[in-house]
Amino acid sequence: MFSVLQRAFLGFVRTPSQPDVLHNHLKLLSAGLRTYEVPPDYSDVVLPDKPKLKFMEKVPNLKQARKEMKKLRDIQGPAKSTNTFSDGQYGIVALGGGYLHWGHMEMMRLTINRRMDPSRTFAVWRIAAPYKPVTRKGLGQRMGGGKGAIDHYVTPVKCGRLVVEVGGRVELGEVEAVLKEVAKKLPFPAKVVSRESLAELYEEQDKRAASNQNPWTFQRVARSNMLGIRKVLSPFDMHNHGRYAGKFFNPRRV
Amino acid sequence: MAATLCSRLFPKSGWLPLSQSVRHGSKAVTRHRKPVHFLKQKLMAVTEYIPPTPAAPPAALAPRVRKTEEESALAVLLRKDLENLFKECKMIAVVQNNAINAEDLMVLKHKLNRHNISVKFFPNQVTRSFLSNSIYSNLLPLFVGQTVIFVSKEPKVKEMLQALKHSPQMVLLGACIENTLLSYQGILSYSRLPSMTTIQGEIVGGLTMMTSRTVSMLRHHPAHLSALLQQYVKQQGSGDSTNAVTDKDTSTIQEAAA
Repeated sequence: MFSVLQRAFLGFVRTPSQPDVLHNHLKLLSAGLRTYEVPPDYSDVVLPDKPKLKFMEKVPNLKQARKEMKKLRDIQGPAKSTNTFSDGQYGIVALGGGYLHWGHMEMMRLTINRRMDPSRTFAVWRIAAPYKPVTRKGLGQRMGGGKGAIDHYVTPVKCGRLVVEVGGRVELGEVEAVLKEVAKKLPFPAKVVSRESLAELYEEQDKRAASNQNPWTFQRVARSNMLGIRKVLSPFDMHNHGRYAGKFFNPRRV
Repeated sequence: MAATLCSRLFPKSGWLPLSQSVRHGSKAVTRHRKPVHFLKQKLMAVTEYIPPTPAAPPAALAPRVRKTEEESALAVLLRKDLENLFKECKMIAVVQNNAINAEDLMVLKHKLNRHNISVKFFPNQVTRSFLSNSIYSNLLPLFVGQTVIFVSKEPKVKEMLQALKHSPQMVLLGACIENTLLSYQGILSYSRLPSMTTIQGEIVGGLTMMTSRTVSMLRHHPAHLSALLQQYVKQQGSGDSTNAVTDKDTSTIQEAAA
C-alpha cells in the first residue's frame, strides 16, 4: 500500500530532470497501535486422560433381561436432574422429551470424536447407555400370545436435559458447527448451548414469568378451579402450568 | 352394603361427595400431540403471556432542548439592508400582499419604478427583530403575514396611491413618511396636501401681494389717501369712545396741517 501511495505521490513531484532522486530518499514511516482482545483464560482447564466420547454398550449387561412397561413418565415434563453443566463448557440441551437409540449415540460419538481436536478438547456423555427395553413382536406374528420379545434398548431423555458436553481450551465457535450438526439429527428438538447461554435461557424464562402483564395466569385459574376448569386439566398441568404437553415443550408460555 | 350405609348416614338432599373419584387406566399420551380439550384451549388462550409495555425511550422523556438560535448570516445581512433603508428613505409604506401573481407584481413594480419607488421583500422575522430594537417599534403590528415594503427616497405618496389603485391584491396598511407614522387615512390626507413648492409659492405670493397693495395705495393721489384715512378715523370714532378719538384725531390732523 505504501508503495502505491509513494508512486501516486511522486507522480506529481517527479520531473524528467531529477529521476528517482526523491524516490531514494523518501521514506514513509508509519506507526500505529492495535489492541488485541485478551484471550480467554484456560489455566484452570484440566483435560481428562481420555478426552473422546466413550463407546456405549448397545445392550445392558444384565443377568436376566426384564420386559418393562412403557413408563411414558420418563420422557414427559421437564428434567429434574442433569440440566446444568458439570465440567464442560458447551453442550447439547434437549428441548423436548424422547428416546435415544444406540444408533443416535454412535452418530454423536463418531461425529464429535472425528471432528474435535483431542489435544485441547474433551467431550463427555451426560446420558447413560441404553437401559430401557423396548419390546416388539416378531414379523409376521399373529396378535396375542403375550408381550413380545425385547427388541432394543433406549435411553429416555426429558426436556432440558444435557446430552453431551464439550469443553477444554476451545471457544464456542470452534465446536458449534459440529454440535449443531449433531443436534439436528436427534429425535427431539435440541439446541447448542454454552454455560452462559443456558443460564441466560433460564433467567429469561424467570424474567418473563415475573414481567407477565396478564392477570389471568394458568396457575391461578387452575388452582382456584375457575368455572370448573380442573375437569379438563391433569395433575401434570397443575405442576407445569401448560408449558408441557406430554413430551412436548412450549417455550413461549410462562 | 356401603351404599345403604351411606344413604342412611347422609340424607340425599343437599349432599356433596367428600371425595371425588379419580379415573385410572388412561395413559397420558406423550408421543404425539393429543387433541386439546376445547375448554383447555380457551384457558391456554386466556393465559397467554402479555409482555410489559416497553418503557418510553429516554429521548422521549427528556425535555426537548431548544437549540440556541444563532442568527444566520443572511438574516444579519438583510437586517443591515433594512437598517440602511430606514436610514435613507423618507417614505416606507407597509403593504399587505394578498397572493398577487407574478405578472401583476411585475406591472406594479414597473409603475412604481417610474417614480423611483422600489418594492422590497423582507422576512417578517428579520423585520421584527430590527423594528423591535429601533425607534420604529410602533410599526411592529403591521408586520403580520405576507407583507411588502414600498420604499422611496422622496415621499411620493400620490404616485404610489395611483399605482396601487390598479392592483387590489396589495392593501396599504400604513406608512412611515418623513419619520411620521401614518395610517391609511393619514396617507390619503397626506396625498391631498399640495406640494412644498406650491405652498412656498403661495406664501411668497401672499407676502408680495400685501406689499404690492401698500405700494399701489401709496402711489395713489394723496387726497385719496387722506380721504381713506378720514374714512378710517370716522369708522373708529363711530365704533367706541367717539369723542376722545375725534379730539385726538383733530389734534393730530391740526398738527399735520401746521
